[in-house]
Amino acid sequence: MNEGSTFPDDTFPDDRALLAELGRVVDDIDAPPDDLVARIQFALALEDLDVEVAQWERSGELAGVRSTDQDTVTFTVRDLTVMINLTKIGKSYRIDGWLVPAGQYEVEVRVAGHDSSSTIADDVGRFVLHEVPRGTTQIVVHVGVDSSRRTVVTPAVVL
Amino acid sequence: MTDARTAEANPPWEGLRGHELYAACMHEARMGNRQAMDRLVTELTPLVWQVARGNGLDRHSAEDVVQTVWLVLFRHLDQLVDPKALAAWLITTTRREAQRVGSRKQLPVPLTDELAETVPSTQPAPEAEVIRADRDRQLWNAFAQLPQRCQELLRLTVLAGRAEYRLVADALRMPHGSIGPTRGRCLQSMRDLLETQGGSV
Repeated sequence: MNEGSTFPDDTFPDDRALLAELGRVVDDIDAPPDDLVARIQFALALEDLDVEVAQWERSGELAGVRSTDQDTVTFTVRDLTVMINLTKIGKSYRIDGWLVPAGQYEVEVRVAGHDSSSTIADDVGRFVLHEVPRGTTQIVVHVGVDSSRRTVVTPAVVL
Repeated sequence: MTDARTAEANPPWEGLRGHELYAACMHEARMGNRQAMDRLVTELTPLVWQVARGNGLDRHSAEDVVQTVWLVLFRHLDQLVDPKALAAWLITTTRREAQRVGSRKQLPVPLTDELAETVPSTQPAPEAEVIRADRDRQLWNAFAQLPQRCQELLRLTVLAGRAEYRLVADALRMPHGSIGPTRGRCLQSMRDLLETQGGSV
């Protein structure tokens, strides 16, 4: 390649020049994803924003691969773990999920541009959602009952 | 509906910038105006992103942390009284979230193919494009080898037009006067790295 000639000694005589170049490179190489702002705005379009945010867990192999034919994703918040298994069926997904610890909580799946679908987990914490459209997705779990009810949401990801 | 449309055409924050923009949007957001929230998100997401990435998160984790920070902000918006404190609050909260997530899985931030592919190829001449891509790669690699604190500081001050110097200092808990010299040392390290890798690319 260009042996040493890419940066002659006087390429960056002053900090300002280097900083300007670095700014451009960071903007080029590591700008936020184009759809991130739209996803945040979707994630925020909840009726009630009094929510706790869960963390998606991704193992090394899963990172970057969010839409294979079959995928298991886990997310956690404080005292609740939700594991979901996605099965691609045609243009949509079936979601099989487990709540740990188990509870008969309402689980809602929001997909941008579609009506949200919801179900109640059974007494061992399992739930199934059929024909969930693919796209920017956020999962909402209403934990507990009545006065102790709280809402846990995930960041919106493209599934 | 009519009201929403009017607001869209001429929102109260129209033409405002910086703290005045934040103040107007925060005021509206507190009253439930979703467009005001969206405006803040559009304005300040690049800052939050740079802080997340500057704290060693991979891009996917950074995406999640950025969303988390916004959700937390709007949940607690009533507690953030001073609009001037908004950017500093975002920086501090993002660092804390990034460290929480990062402590669970410690990942370096190398130039992966994923990143390399995001370099847009919009240059006119292929020849010039290759040379520029080479340069960019070298710069990026040198940058990625800097200590995390340097990377964070440089990311934030590269955005200095948008985020102010002073709040960068506050958020990084550095005396205002030491930002310049520290940044100078970071840039010098980067030059040294560029020099040592110069012939090996």
